Amino acid sequence: MKYYFRLQFAMLNRTLKDFGLVPFFGYLLAAVAFVGLSILLFSKIGLAEYLYDLMAMSLVLKLSQTRRNDFLKSCFPNKAYFRIRILENLIISLPFLMFLTYQNCIISAASLSGASVILAFLNFENRLSFTIPTPFYKWPFEFIVGFRNTFFVIFVAYFLVVMAISAGNFNLGIFAMILVFLICFSFYSKPEDQFYVWVFSSGAGRFLFYKIKIALLSSSLLVFPVVASLCFFFPENMVMVFAFLGIGYLYLATVVMAKYSAFPEPMNLPQGFLLVAGLWFPPLLAGVIPYFYGRSINRLREILG
Amino acid sequence: MINIENLSKSFGNLQVLTNVNLVFEKGRVYGIVGENGSGKTTLFRCIAGLEKHRGTIKSDFEKLKNHLGFLQTDPYFFAKITGREYLQLFCNARNIRENDFDAKNIFELPLNQYAATYSTGMKKKLALSAILLQNNDVFILDEPFNGVDIQSNILITEIINKLKSLQKTIIISSHIFSTLNDTCDEIHLLKEGVFVKHVFKEKFWQLEQEMKEITISNKIEKLGLK
Repeated sequence: MKYYFRLQFAMLNRTLKDFGLVPFFGYLLAAVAFVGLSILLFSKIGLAEYLYDLMAMSLVLKLSQTRRNDFLKSCFPNKAYFRIRILENLIISLPFLMFLTYQNCIISAASLSGASVILAFLNFENRLSFTIPTPFYKWPFEFIVGFRNTFFVIFVAYFLVVMAISAGNFNLGIFAMILVFLICFSFYSKPEDQFYVWVFSSGAGRFLFYKIKIALLSSSLLVFPVVASLCFFFPENMVMVFAFLGIGYLYLATVVMAKYSAFPEPMNLPQGFLLVAGLWFPPLLAGVIPYFYGRSINRLREILG
Repeated sequence: MINIENLSKSFGNLQVLTNVNLVFEKGRVYGIVGENGSGKTTLFRCIAGLEKHRGTIKSDFEKLKNHLGFLQTDPYFFAKITGREYLQLFCNARNIRENDFDAKNIFELPLNQYAATYSTGMKKKLALSAILLQNNDVFILDEPFNGVDIQSNILITEIINKLKSLQKTIIISSHIFSTLNDTCDEIHLLKEGVFVKHVFKEKFWQLEQEMKEITISNKIEKLGLK
């Protein structure tokens, strides 16, 4: 059992090293980010403790996949298996439990620790028996996979638009549009298997433009209900709506280029930093976009010839 | 025609392929056999341009990879993509607009289900269907019969024969000798990254016999089974 946790620790360290981080600084950075975001969450949202519990549970649930746990069961005797499952669930929950306790949310902390233990005895099949329909079937694969993974968040964004309209709050509507674009960005966070690029017969430039075109067209489908509703109910702010739409498209194209600038490896820390800097301070995009474009073309040329 | 000259490939200090010289012609089926780790998949990845290597690979095409259908041993599938969407992706990749996937679904795959939920054999058949829809001129089939049911094995054998009659070049690796016997014109034996034998159809039985003798030798006795 000790070896299992040592192995998990070694794997985590390897992931951090691959990302270009010394593990110690990786943990430090993660701790600072976690505390910072937690403070922000509790200061801005009234029901933060419940949202916090939900976030912790969604992470714990990732360890309850049947296939993964069948493997663990085949490796360890029953008693050791359940000890491992309880321990790893509690390790995942620990940072959340500590912050909840610090915030004096004792009931939430107790329910989270109880749920973490109970979930160690339950496994869930991740594979749905039905196929979630998507409007993107002609343009595989980013939006098809992404939509099926995040459709519930997209509906939350649409719900926010309804709230914005009913409350006459235009800013909330714009926030919903930003949320839709953020979801679209997440579809490009991981590189696909190299084979899925190799299979294309186009050159590097055409391939990249094809991917950007698909990203813009598909994101337009998702963002259209938001844009149309905001233009209809807040006609005086139409220019603002289209300005945000334009910026969203520009960012999305940048994210696509950033992904292929490191391909077939995932984006490393300097590239990630450059991308965030460009999104944070848009004038930087004048330099960031050509940089990512040039690197993407070089990377893709190695695979596409 | 594909002409491979002095192809060598190493990973760090590990030499995987050494001075490979091969010619693959149109309308012929080639079998590549060898033990696990002998370098078959690396050779295929080099031909496909997925691995950098020393030596040259020339072909009749400007870019061989754009005319090549590569069936991998263990094809990768996204968690939430259906069989139909997988086929669409492969057609989009080669600018093939019109395709009646249902009519061409000869393996009767559940195309509206997530491909990741398919069995090993069904995944193989889906990946094979995808490269067939692309109308490729050259096919590399890395263990196409692996995990596939008997009926589909018969079908795949017939597909290979049909491709041969259409003057396509087919390169197959398989650990099931009978499937190579049914489909190949020539078999090349790869051992530790070097091609040690080249046999035409009429001598396949001899190769099979030799391989059995070398592979089995006295290994079963070593197990000391009681």
